[in-house]
Amino acid sequence: MVTVRLFGMTKMLAGNQGTLALALPDGRRVKDLVAVIEAGYPKIGELLQKKKVLVSVNQDIAHEDLEVQDGDEIALLPPFAGGSDGC
Amino acid sequence: MSLEQVTKADPPVADDEAMLVRVQREDFSIDEELRRVRARSKRIGGIAIFLGTARDRSKGKDVDGITFEHYEGMAQKKLREIRERALKDFGIIELSILHRYGEIGIGDNIVLIIAGAEHRAEAFQACKWAIDELKQITPIWKLEHTPEGEVWVEEHP
Repeated sequence: MVTVRLFGMTKMLAGNQGTLALALPDGRRVKDLVAVIEAGYPKIGELLQKKKVLVSVNQDIAHEDLEVQDGDEIALLPPFAGGSDGC
Repeated sequence: MSLEQVTKADPPVADDEAMLVRVQREDFSIDEELRRVRARSKRIGGIAIFLGTARDRSKGKDVDGITFEHYEGMAQKKLREIRERALKDFGIIELSILHRYGEIGIGDNIVLIIAGAEHRAEAFQACKWAIDELKQITPIWKLEHTPEGEVWVEEHP
Protein backbone atom coordinates (compact mmCIF):
# COMPACT_ATOMS: atom_id res chain seq x y z
CA MET A 1 0.00 0.00 0.00
CA VAL A 2 1.10 3.52 -0.67
CA THR A 3 -0.38 6.70 0.71
CA VAL A 4 -1.02 9.55 -1.70
CA ARG A 5 -1.63 13.08 -0.46
CA LEU A 6 -4.25 15.18 -2.21
CA PHE A 7 -4.58 18.94 -2.54
CA GLY A 8 -6.99 21.46 -3.99
CA MET A 9 -9.21 20.14 -6.73
CA THR A 10 -7.84 16.59 -6.51
CA LYS A 11 -8.97 16.45 -2.89
CA MET A 12 -12.39 17.72 -3.92
CA LEU A 13 -12.62 15.14 -6.73
CA ALA A 14 -11.86 12.37 -4.24
CA GLY A 15 -14.77 13.39 -2.00
CA ASN A 16 -12.67 15.71 0.20
CA GLN A 17 -10.30 12.99 1.34
CA GLY A 18 -6.87 14.36 2.17
CA THR A 19 -5.13 11.08 1.38
CA LEU A 20 -5.71 7.90 -0.60
CA ALA A 21 -4.34 4.53 0.51
CA LEU A 22 -3.76 2.51 -2.65
CA ALA A 23 -2.60 -1.01 -3.34
CA LEU A 24 -0.23 -1.38 -6.30
CA PRO A 25 -0.76 -4.97 -7.50
CA ASP A 26 0.78 -4.53 -10.99
CA GLY A 27 4.06 -2.77 -10.43
CA ARG A 28 5.47 0.03 -8.33
CA ARG A 29 6.31 2.66 -10.90
CA VAL A 30 4.57 6.02 -10.97
CA LYS A 31 2.68 5.01 -14.11
CA ASP A 32 1.33 1.94 -12.27
CA LEU A 33 0.12 4.24 -9.53
CA VAL A 34 -1.50 6.51 -12.13
CA ALA A 35 -3.30 3.48 -13.63
CA VAL A 36 -4.72 2.56 -10.21
CA ILE A 37 -5.92 6.15 -9.70
CA GLU A 38 -7.47 6.25 -13.18
CA ALA A 39 -9.45 3.11 -12.37
CA GLY A 40 -10.68 4.30 -9.00
CA TYR A 41 -10.96 8.05 -9.60
CA PRO A 42 -11.61 8.64 -13.32
CA LYS A 43 -11.92 12.43 -13.00
CA ILE A 44 -8.50 12.69 -11.35
CA GLY A 45 -7.21 10.20 -13.93
CA GLU A 46 -8.33 12.51 -16.72
CA LEU A 47 -6.40 15.41 -15.20
CA LEU A 48 -3.33 13.18 -14.81
CA GLN A 49 -3.59 12.20 -18.48
CA LYS A 50 -3.76 15.85 -19.52
CA LYS A 51 -0.75 16.59 -17.28
CA LYS A 52 -2.86 19.13 -15.43
CA VAL A 53 -2.21 17.13 -12.29
CA LEU A 54 1.37 16.06 -11.59
CA VAL A 55 2.68 13.35 -9.31
CA SER A 56 5.38 14.25 -6.81
CA VAL A 57 7.54 11.77 -4.93
CA ASN A 58 9.47 13.04 -1.93
CA GLN A 59 8.57 16.62 -2.87
CA ASP A 60 9.92 16.49 -6.41
CA ILE A 61 7.90 16.11 -9.61
CA ALA A 62 8.23 12.46 -10.58
CA HIS A 63 8.75 10.81 -13.98
CA GLU A 64 6.28 8.05 -14.85
CA ASP A 65 9.02 5.43 -14.77
CA LEU A 66 10.21 6.27 -11.27
CA GLU A 67 9.80 3.36 -8.88
CA VAL A 68 7.95 4.13 -5.70
CA GLN A 69 9.58 2.89 -2.51
CA ASP A 70 7.93 2.08 0.82
CA GLY A 71 7.79 5.21 2.92
CA ASP A 72 8.02 7.58 -0.05
CA GLU A 73 6.00 10.77 0.28
CA ILE A 74 3.68 10.79 -2.73
CA ALA A 75 1.29 13.58 -3.70
CA LEU A 76 -0.98 14.64 -6.54
CA LEU A 77 -0.40 18.28 -7.43
CA PRO A 78 -3.09 20.22 -9.29
CA PRO A 79 -2.09 23.40 -11.20
CA PHE A 80 -0.42 25.88 -8.85
CA ALA A 81 -2.07 29.22 -8.22
CA GLY A 82 0.00 31.00 -5.62
CA GLY A 83 0.43 34.73 -5.46
CA SER A 84 -2.56 36.99 -5.93
CA ASP A 85 -4.86 36.94 -8.90
CA GLY A 86 -3.66 39.07 -11.77
CA CYS A 87 -0.53 40.22 -9.99
CA MET B 1 7.09 58.91 11.04
CA SER B 2 9.49 58.01 8.27
CA LEU B 3 10.75 54.50 7.67
CA GLU B 4 14.25 55.60 8.64
CA GLN B 5 13.02 56.76 12.05
CA VAL B 6 11.15 53.49 12.62
CA THR B 7 14.25 51.48 11.72
CA LYS B 8 16.43 53.38 14.15
CA ALA B 9 13.93 53.39 17.00
CA ASP B 10 12.99 49.72 16.99
CA PRO B 11 15.15 46.93 18.41
CA PRO B 12 16.93 44.81 15.79
CA VAL B 13 15.00 41.84 14.46
CA ALA B 14 16.64 38.44 14.98
CA ASP B 15 18.96 37.89 12.06
CA ASP B 16 17.66 34.45 11.29
CA GLU B 17 17.96 33.23 7.72
CA ALA B 18 15.04 30.83 8.19
CA MET B 19 12.75 33.77 8.87
CA LEU B 20 13.39 35.13 5.37
CA VAL B 21 11.34 32.36 3.74
CA ARG B 22 8.03 31.54 5.38
CA VAL B 23 4.60 30.12 4.67
CA GLN B 24 2.29 31.18 7.45
CA ARG B 25 -1.37 31.61 8.29
CA GLU B 26 -1.08 34.94 10.08
CA ASP B 27 -0.61 38.31 8.43
CA PHE B 28 2.86 39.82 8.18
CA SER B 29 4.21 43.28 8.89
CA ILE B 30 5.82 44.80 5.82
CA ASP B 31 7.89 47.13 8.03
CA GLU B 32 9.19 44.22 10.10
CA GLU B 33 10.11 42.16 7.06
CA LEU B 34 11.76 45.17 5.47
CA ARG B 35 13.85 45.68 8.61
CA ARG B 36 14.84 42.03 8.50
CA VAL B 37 16.16 42.36 4.93
CA ARG B 38 17.90 45.69 5.60
CA ALA B 39 19.62 44.20 8.65
CA ARG B 40 21.34 41.61 6.43
CA SER B 41 23.81 44.07 4.92
CA LYS B 42 24.75 47.70 4.98
CA ARG B 43 25.69 47.40 1.32
CA ILE B 44 22.02 47.35 0.31
CA GLY B 45 21.20 50.54 -1.58
CA GLY B 46 18.06 49.56 -3.48
CA ILE B 47 15.07 47.55 -2.29
CA ALA B 48 12.17 46.38 -4.47
CA ILE B 49 9.01 45.12 -2.80
CA PHE B 50 6.15 43.16 -4.31
CA LEU B 51 2.99 42.81 -2.27
CA GLY B 52 0.15 40.64 -3.58
CA THR B 53 -3.29 41.29 -2.09
CA ALA B 54 -6.72 39.68 -2.46
CA ARG B 55 -8.90 41.23 -5.16
CA ASP B 56 -12.68 41.26 -5.16
CA ARG B 57 -12.94 40.33 -8.85
CA SER B 58 -11.60 37.37 -10.80
CA LYS B 59 -12.28 36.72 -14.48
CA GLY B 60 -15.23 39.10 -14.40
CA LYS B 61 -16.82 37.53 -11.32
CA ASP B 62 -17.18 38.83 -7.79
CA VAL B 63 -14.98 37.20 -5.17
CA ASP B 64 -15.93 37.35 -1.48
CA GLY B 65 -12.77 35.75 -0.11
CA ILE B 66 -9.95 33.35 -0.90
CA THR B 67 -8.59 30.26 0.80
CA PHE B 68 -5.00 29.22 0.11
CA GLU B 69 -3.87 25.67 0.62
CA HIS B 70 -0.21 24.67 0.49
CA TYR B 71 1.88 21.53 0.54
CA GLU B 72 3.70 21.86 3.84
CA GLY B 73 7.38 21.16 3.35
CA MET B 74 7.45 21.26 -0.45
CA ALA B 75 6.12 24.84 -0.58
CA GLN B 76 8.87 26.03 1.77
CA LYS B 77 11.46 24.01 -0.16
CA LYS B 78 10.46 25.66 -3.45
CA LEU B 79 10.51 29.14 -1.92
CA ARG B 80 13.99 28.49 -0.51
CA GLU B 81 15.10 27.39 -3.99
CA ILE B 82 13.72 30.63 -5.44
CA ARG B 83 15.62 32.68 -2.87
CA GLU B 84 18.85 30.82 -3.51
CA ARG B 85 18.55 31.14 -7.29
CA ALA B 86 17.69 34.83 -7.03
CA LEU B 87 20.77 35.47 -4.88
CA LYS B 88 22.97 33.59 -7.33
CA ASP B 89 21.53 34.68 -10.68
CA PHE B 90 20.73 38.36 -10.08
CA GLY B 91 23.65 39.41 -7.91
CA ILE B 92 21.36 40.71 -5.21
CA ILE B 93 22.23 40.82 -1.52
CA GLU B 94 19.08 39.43 0.05
CA LEU B 95 15.63 38.16 -0.88
CA SER B 96 12.74 37.50 1.43
CA ILE B 97 9.59 35.57 0.41
CA LEU B 98 6.48 35.15 2.54
CA HIS B 99 3.21 33.54 1.49
CA ARG B 100 0.10 33.19 3.60
CA TYR B 101 -2.28 30.25 3.68
CA GLY B 102 -5.77 29.73 5.04
CA GLU B 103 -8.65 32.15 4.70
CA ILE B 104 -7.77 35.55 3.30
CA GLY B 105 -10.21 38.45 3.28
CA ILE B 106 -10.62 40.78 0.34
CA GLY B 107 -7.90 43.43 0.42
CA ASP B 108 -5.72 41.42 2.79
CA ASN B 109 -2.06 40.57 2.23
CA ILE B 110 -1.24 37.30 0.45
CA VAL B 111 2.38 37.33 -0.62
CA LEU B 112 5.40 39.53 0.03
CA ILE B 113 8.69 39.55 -1.81
CA ILE B 114 11.51 41.89 -0.82
CA ALA B 115 14.68 42.07 -2.91
CA GLY B 116 17.64 44.00 -1.54
CA ALA B 117 20.54 44.87 -3.83
CA GLU B 118 23.28 47.43 -4.20
CA HIS B 119 21.31 49.12 -6.98
CA ARG B 120 17.70 49.30 -8.09
CA ALA B 121 17.98 47.50 -11.44
CA GLU B 122 18.88 44.09 -10.01
CA ALA B 123 16.43 44.55 -7.12
CA PHE B 124 13.54 45.12 -9.55
CA GLN B 125 14.60 42.25 -11.82
CA ALA B 126 14.99 39.75 -8.98
CA CYS B 127 11.69 40.77 -7.39
CA LYS B 128 9.75 40.32 -10.64
CA TRP B 129 11.47 37.04 -11.44
CA ALA B 130 10.76 35.70 -7.94
CA ILE B 131 6.99 36.32 -8.03
CA ASP B 132 6.74 34.87 -11.55
CA GLU B 133 8.71 31.82 -10.49
CA LEU B 134 6.70 31.42 -7.30
CA LYS B 135 3.55 31.09 -9.38
CA GLN B 136 5.18 28.46 -11.61
CA ILE B 137 6.81 26.10 -9.15
CA THR B 138 5.36 26.56 -5.65
CA PRO B 139 2.66 24.08 -4.58
CA ILE B 140 0.09 26.57 -3.35
CA TRP B 141 -3.55 26.44 -4.43
CA LYS B 142 -6.27 29.02 -4.39
CA LEU B 143 -9.96 28.48 -3.67
CA GLU B 144 -12.07 31.49 -4.57
CA HIS B 145 -15.31 32.03 -2.72
CA THR B 146 -17.89 33.61 -5.05
CA PRO B 147 -21.63 34.25 -4.73
CA GLU B 148 -22.11 31.25 -7.08
CA GLY B 149 -19.96 28.89 -5.03
CA GLU B 150 -16.35 27.90 -4.51
CA VAL B 151 -13.89 27.50 -7.38
CA TRP B 152 -10.36 26.08 -7.32
CA VAL B 153 -8.31 28.37 -9.52
CA GLU B 154 -6.56 26.36 -12.22
CA GLU B 155 -4.63 28.90 -14.19
CA HIS B 156 -2.81 32.04 -13.31
CA PRO B 157 -1.94 34.91 -15.61
